[in-house]
Amino acid sequence: MEIRLIGLTKEFPGDPKKDIKPTTAVDHINITVKDGELIGLLGPSGCGKSTTLYMLAGLKEPTSGEIFFDDQDVTHLAPEKRGIGLVFQNYALYPHMTVYKNVAFPLTNLKVNEPMKNANILKYQKIIEILKEPQKLVDAITSSAYENKINKNFAIDSIANQYQVSKYVASELFKLNLHVSEDVLLKANEASAIYTEKLDKEIEKTKSKLAKKGWSITEKGLYLDRDGNLIPKIRRLSKDEIDALVREAARLVQIEDYLGRKPSELSGGQQQRVAIARALVKKPRVLLLDEPLSNLDARLRLQTREEIRRIQKETGITTVFVTHDQEEAMSICDDIVVMKLGVEMQMGHPQEVYKDPHNLFVAKFLGTPPINVFEGYIKDNKVYIGDEVIYRTPSKVDQQLKDGKVYVGIRPEGFISSEELTSTRTPRLTLNIDHLVTMGRDVSLEASHPCFKGDEIKIIIDSDLDVKLGKAKFGIKPNKMFVFDGETEERIYLK
Amino acid sequence: MLARKTPLITTKLNLIVPGKAKDVRTTQQKDNTLHILSLILIYAILIFAAIIVIFPFVYMILASFMKESVLTTGAFLPETNNLWEDITYNYTSTLERFSYLKYIGNTLVVGITTTLLCIIVTILSAFAFARLKFRGRDFLFTIFLGTMMIPGEMMVITNYLTLTNLGLISPNQNAIEAYSSMVLPFIASVFYIYLLRQNFMQIPNELYLAAKVDGKSDWSYLWKVMVPLAAPTLITVCILSLIGSWNAYVWPRQVTLNTNFWVISVAVRGEALTRLDPTGIRIPMSSWQMCASVLTVVPLLILFIIFRKYIMSGTGRAGIKG
Amino acid sequence: MEKNNNWKAWLYLAPALILMGIFTFFPLINTFIVSFLKDYNSATGANSGFTFENYGRVLGITPVDAELGIYDNNFLSFTGPSALTNTLLITFVTVPISVIIALAISILLNNIKVCRKFLQTVFFMPYVTNIIAVGMVFSVMFSSTGIINRIFGIDGTNWIGVGASWGKSMFVLCIYVIWNALPYKILIFSSGLQGIDKQYYEAAKIDSTPRFKVATKITIPLLSPQILYITITSFISAFKEYNAIIGLFNRNYTTSGNVPDLYTVVYYIYDMLNSGTSMVQFACAGAVVLFVIIMLFTLIQMQISKRKVVY
Repeated sequence: MEIRLIGLTKEFPGDPKKDIKPTTAVDHINITVKDGELIGLLGPSGCGKSTTLYMLAGLKEPTSGEIFFDDQDVTHLAPEKRGIGLVFQNYALYPHMTVYKNVAFPLTNLKVNEPMKNANILKYQKIIEILKEPQKLVDAITSSAYENKINKNFAIDSIANQYQVSKYVASELFKLNLHVSEDVLLKANEASAIYTEKLDKEIEKTKSKLAKKGWSITEKGLYLDRDGNLIPKIRRLSKDEIDALVREAARLVQIEDYLGRKPSELSGGQQQRVAIARALVKKPRVLLLDEPLSNLDARLRLQTREEIRRIQKETGITTVFVTHDQEEAMSICDDIVVMKLGVEMQMGHPQEVYKDPHNLFVAKFLGTPPINVFEGYIKDNKVYIGDEVIYRTPSKVDQQLKDGKVYVGIRPEGFISSEELTSTRTPRLTLNIDHLVTMGRDVSLEASHPCFKGDEIKIIIDSDLDVKLGKAKFGIKPNKMFVFDGETEERIYLK
Repeated sequence: MLARKTPLITTKLNLIVPGKAKDVRTTQQKDNTLHILSLILIYAILIFAAIIVIFPFVYMILASFMKESVLTTGAFLPETNNLWEDITYNYTSTLERFSYLKYIGNTLVVGITTTLLCIIVTILSAFAFARLKFRGRDFLFTIFLGTMMIPGEMMVITNYLTLTNLGLISPNQNAIEAYSSMVLPFIASVFYIYLLRQNFMQIPNELYLAAKVDGKSDWSYLWKVMVPLAAPTLITVCILSLIGSWNAYVWPRQVTLNTNFWVISVAVRGEALTRLDPTGIRIPMSSWQMCASVLTVVPLLILFIIFRKYIMSGTGRAGIKG
Repeated sequence: MEKNNNWKAWLYLAPALILMGIFTFFPLINTFIVSFLKDYNSATGANSGFTFENYGRVLGITPVDAELGIYDNNFLSFTGPSALTNTLLITFVTVPISVIIALAISILLNNIKVCRKFLQTVFFMPYVTNIIAVGMVFSVMFSSTGIINRIFGIDGTNWIGVGASWGKSMFVLCIYVIWNALPYKILIFSSGLQGIDKQYYEAAKIDSTPRFKVATKITIPLLSPQILYITITSFISAFKEYNAIIGLFNRNYTTSGNVPDLYTVVYYIYDMLNSGTSMVQFACAGAVVLFVIIMLFTLIQMQISKRKVVY
């Protein structure tokens, strides 16, 4: 589903009594999220990204602007009517419920619009089918044994996972006690016969019941009306259906083994998955994630963000992801929106935004190590850092640059050591190298320059190159260098 | 990632996400009406409950303004003609029979003395339990806590006998005897010690060590650092102790045989607010009883309204911890 | 290193220890001992040795007068009102009702914004008032010519006056006890509710959970520690009910006639204590019985709560 935010604004009123000024948390944001995409709202804390997410969820009312889900205006719709799944920053798992109950909780409030059917017929058919290969069932039970003992609950879980049936069906299968009988095949046949009989009875009963209305029943237990059409009906989910959905969501996020535990007995990463499962289980139209990784340690964070990407791809749910970590957003998002103080700075594919920042803020916010920013100026269509010209308008090009102060940003990987320089036309910059740090393939240099804003200039170059401490000339890759207006900090595009 | 044999999404159910199924605008309107209706219902229930809760207070005040003959008809509002005369008659008659100032004075003396002494004893013991190390500390504290489980009646009987045998309780007891028998048993309170100890324990150890480095003694550390830091809890203890004294009934009644030292709650049920019938029978006067009730309850209510925040947050805190 | 400062610590503890020694520990032991003494005289301390008969008499097993076959049925009786049955009745009626009402009011309060502080204050007000004085107000309200009868149009119904039936008096008593018990409970529940993370409610809202279900499936389980605390403390205080009866009925331990039908356990204890120097051992036995009952109930509730208070 496509999401469109049009001129979305959120103002928080001030309180003159307490000397609180009114603030605009989100300022006329326009974002379009394409169907099935994962979009990252990115920015430092206080940039309004969470507020935007909460407005999307319906937990905060926008001051102005509109929110569309496809062509439906949901701006003032209650959150529960929007069909969204929300993963909270600290997960908000109900501490008193097991994982299973946590995940099942949203389903107990939902309804389905399904064709009418006799669920028992389907169930008996499934059981009979499973009993055709009794050894497989016995294997499923015995494989769950822990310390050579068969635990009923483990066995039921194992059966449920193996055949993708609900725990109620699994429990019936377990109670046949095939795993303890001497002649498995014989016992299975006996059981199968009983179920076939039950099935026939059930079909007969249903048929005679339906006949009064002139309805009929298909082999799969679905009801048909006089004209042979399915009969849709709105109803609550049955226990079996809830179980199937919970297990499906659990498989998706790989928490099948923890369904019986309480959230407090899980690690941070596992809790995280449970939270995602709870958000996904009701098949939301939109999945919203509020800083989902901020409570995890570094290693888990890497793992989990891949996981989120995988789950999102597998389900194809349009997803909005809020984070302050640019690396996180860059690595998994289809598109990112960089925000600052409630204002949308730039939106686009992460690599595009990285390659082509529209302003100094975006340039500084993306990339590790961060971009190096120099104070420079433009004079006579040339860009200077100190007294070195780092850019001059090619003579053929018609371009008039305004004189004045500018900021020049150069990515750490945008420097070329003098050894590598082939073309004499490449602009150069003299830096003073203070430190060398070799990290495998690359060398990271820390350098200084009088016009540099900040502590250290960070440069990454190939480790094969020979670099010495002290003054050195570096070439600058033109596509890694950006010039920004000294006043507005907006990008000055050079041709 | 493990290779998967089976597809992940297997369930094909048409879940009804509400917004999807119906027209957005009508759902929105329906939601709003439902929301407003449920709010109205909630407020209706709460206001109804609130009226029941404060009805006795309102009625008490109104009844104290009524003529006895009006009150006994079950009226809610007093008669408006001669209202002022009725009020003054009721209150002056009550005050003639009910030595209000004396009882209030007794209550205040008992309440304030108990609270002050209780605070000092509580601070000292809580400090010992929280800060100082000595053999048998945890054992002793467990025993202290254990006594909280025991109903006070177990102690009251013997305490009454002890004080009687000491001669403190008698119809001609003097002020010291009466006051001290009301105050003494309530100075050491395990609950308050526990409450304050918990608070003291939260004060970081570093402060203590820093004070030691500065050459402060335990004594000055306690009064200069810990007590100010624990001020909110101490205020809570004060308030709870004062309210407790004001409402105490059984023990004060038990030990004040000399009516001169009655506290207010003993007096309010003890004084004969009756009128002599022409036939020589004493008839209880409900309107006067209501005046006495007003005089007993209203000072506390005024205090409550002034210190509302402290009382409510303090009681809440004490409850959660206890 | 902090050194052990033994003697100093005992000095700090001295006031509390002395006072508790005199007014808590000694009485505790003494009361227990006296409850087993035959023919104890509280003024002289004279007695004729160890006996179980005090308990027997209190519980109505040992006759007061063996020859005439008179038993003391005031504490325990299976045929009419008695201290113990009244106490149990008050406890099991007022505690559940007041907990449920307080819980409902607190949850509703938590659902509103406008006027919440004001309403909270109103609901807390009865906590700071004098139980004896307000009891008197209730007794005037419920008098046969009082405003309650007028409101409900049942003039002349004798609720609590002399000659009133046991059932009616108990009914009014329970109402008063509940009215009195509400404010503290509401306050504790409200502070507990404030402590519940708002995100649980937001999560529930997004999952379109109906209000009632939010209350039963989320709020109440998350509030279970406070509910347990309140239930235990109110069971204990209901077992010790006495002040409310004095407030309502002034020292009439009977309304209907002969039997002291408004006795409670604590009422009985005080009555025995005030019946002269030769009756004190029965007061002691009653107090020990009360202690045992309270202990048992607290233990049972702790056991139940181990399974119910679940996080």
